[in-house]
Amino acid sequence: MFKKNMIRALFFAIAILLVGTFLDPYNQSQLSVALIIFIAVLSITLLTGASGQISLGQGALMAVGGYASALTILNFNLNLWLAIPIAVLVSALAGLLLGVTAARLSGPYLAGTTLVIALAIPSLANRFESVFAGEIGFSVDFGSSPAWLNKVIGDVPVEKWQLIVTVIFATIALFFALNILNTRTGRSWRALRDHDIAASLQGVNVGRSRIFIFMVTSAFAGMAGALYGLRGIVSPSVYAVSLSLSLLTAAILGGIRNISGAMIGSIIIVFLPDWIGAVTSRLSVPTRISDYLPALITGLLLVATVVLSPGGLSGSIHHKKHK
Amino acid sequence: MKIRASLTRRVFGRATTVTAGIAISALALSALPANAANDPGVTDTEIVLGMQLPQDGPASPGYNKVDDAMRAYFDYVNSKGGVYGRKIRLEVQNDEYKTGKTITTASYLINKAKIFAFIGSVGTQTHLSVVKDINRRGIPDLFVNSGYSGLYTTPSKYPTTFGGLGTYVSEAKILGKYMKATFTTEKIGILYQTDDFGRNTVAGLASAGYTFEARKTAATFVAGTQKDGLDAQMTQLKDNNVEVVVVGAVASAYAAAVASANKIGYKPKKWVVISVGSDATTFQTILYTKGIPLATSAALLGGTITSSHAPAPADATDEFVVAFKKINTDFNKGDKAWDNNVLQGMNIAYQMTSLLVNVGKTGVTRKNIISYLEKNGSSITGAGFAPLGYSATSHVAYTGFWVGAYDATASLKPVGATRQMWTTDSGTGPVTELTWTRPAIGADSLPKGFSAK
Repeated sequence: MFKKNMIRALFFAIAILLVGTFLDPYNQSQLSVALIIFIAVLSITLLTGASGQISLGQGALMAVGGYASALTILNFNLNLWLAIPIAVLVSALAGLLLGVTAARLSGPYLAGTTLVIALAIPSLANRFESVFAGEIGFSVDFGSSPAWLNKVIGDVPVEKWQLIVTVIFATIALFFALNILNTRTGRSWRALRDHDIAASLQGVNVGRSRIFIFMVTSAFAGMAGALYGLRGIVSPSVYAVSLSLSLLTAAILGGIRNISGAMIGSIIIVFLPDWIGAVTSRLSVPTRISDYLPALITGLLLVATVVLSPGGLSGSIHHKKHK
Repeated sequence: MKIRASLTRRVFGRATTVTAGIAISALALSALPANAANDPGVTDTEIVLGMQLPQDGPASPGYNKVDDAMRAYFDYVNSKGGVYGRKIRLEVQNDEYKTGKTITTASYLINKAKIFAFIGSVGTQTHLSVVKDINRRGIPDLFVNSGYSGLYTTPSKYPTTFGGLGTYVSEAKILGKYMKATFTTEKIGILYQTDDFGRNTVAGLASAGYTFEARKTAATFVAGTQKDGLDAQMTQLKDNNVEVVVVGAVASAYAAAVASANKIGYKPKKWVVISVGSDATTFQTILYTKGIPLATSAALLGGTITSSHAPAPADATDEFVVAFKKINTDFNKGDKAWDNNVLQGMNIAYQMTSLLVNVGKTGVTRKNIISYLEKNGSSITGAGFAPLGYSATSHVAYTGFWVGAYDATASLKPVGATRQMWTTDSGTGPVTELTWTRPAIGADSLPKGFSAK
């Protein structure tokens, strides 16, 4: 299973790099964003889809990752290859703390608590301004590709370098997600989701498992947050509540219970405004209307998904395949 | 089963190797440097400029008119044949004042629209998210509509970024000097947004000798939250008997503050507002949406002290106002309602045209533009009553302001009998009187030296 998952993850990386090669720089940059969102949505796939716990605050855990990596890069002069793993560890620790609280909660209580966290964590940057730089935030970026890579494949433009970095981390995230879902751990999480008392009778430690789930999924969100910040800035406005809601939207549209759903949802969320823009500019729709269309169409798609295909797009495909 | 597993492994392994090979080759091919050519966005017949601003959302009122005004002036220039035959096209992206979105819109302008330069982008917070990338690529980032001094006072950090306004620090220093002379006994308090705008205002007032006490004479809010009202902040200032309220915030926040003060029965003796926050149209439009008639909001604005580097939009004697108003009427395809935002948009477009005229027909390269502004910035003229302060050591735009007060018809008038210009830096330098005569507007409302050939 371990090897199979590794091959799957490598195939994913190669496919993305191949696709990226044929895209223009703008779409390469958009593809990088989709991959970052994919990593964040994976945290929801595992947390809500696999283990049945609702979180409206994944954006806040992304903020933890973003600030951890920015502070590491700026204060200790470390590169992103070290800063991101540190951000992942810090986010996992934050997830551990959240898990301790959340283990006792479920349903709307858990959703409410995580929403409060989504609101509170970014505003801490203003409260402790000397550490987190308030609204101005930290200016960080992906930097440039290393000289050895430039020697091997020629000068690598900024967008392509972003894509290479995000592909590497998305592949790592995918590999871990596949291993979690397809092993005993994943089965125990699903058991917990379907019937926690039955899971408990089968030897699953409910409380400890829930804390562990929060820890692991926060690590995913932290990784995504660190990469998201490296696009230019780490500040409270980057990790607003709307980000948490966008992640949830992507998870539902794509399908919250499987990994392919996370990828489909992320691509929809990131590229839909561009696709709408391409159509509206051809039809010469005034900007005062076209500016509102992405939000409107996303909302309609969300309603349609919940009503017509609760398993999301990937759920529909899976259903058709097995009919 | 074993045979099947081994076959799968072999097939998977071979496929992976082959695909990896293809991917690496493709990556290498696509990474080959493009042919050296002219800077993007410039041809013999066209110059493409780009800007990003909030066209909707809580931060958009007022500022969402700047792009239409700029486009109107460029359309006017194009109707005269363009600069040396090059028509100017303005590509605009709506970033909704969302930092994450600005990174995407900037990428669109750079990579899809292939702009030559950024011009007049609105918003500090959003611009901070892309300024490093813009500078790294060497793209001119001109006349930025932000007064945050951090963008302009260290050109080695952001060599291609040039301001389009005076800095909040220098403006606050000049207003502070006026306050020191005028409000000798009154208790002074401040309302500011907790970002660079608000903090620069506090820093400028500190240079003028004003300090404030947190949660007493200093009330704060996070930018964007003003849409929910500022009742708590106004109650705090009222409870602490603040008589003069300085506002270091955007116009929607000033309107919210006045509405909240009105609601709780708080009547400060004076409001002193940084110019960005005191735009009359924005102020009145926002209060109108809250059910306050225009005549009432004009009366509420009456007496507000603010400053400006440019003529008041209602100044019918100013030649730039007269010329820009006519162009606005004839060419603006968006919201034509004449105000400070339209004036600012027109002025930026005029200055950009002046810059393109001055660098010459063959001089339109990114490097030339930046070098020209650093060496000859003050030769770029416009409606401002102070020269542009560009040099190799500073990319701050206007270094001078005049202090004015709104009358009951929402027109800004000088506080004295005549308009007096003051100048200072964005550090701790003194505030002194500015004696500088603004060059007259060029013939046909075009910059001097304009040629379509």
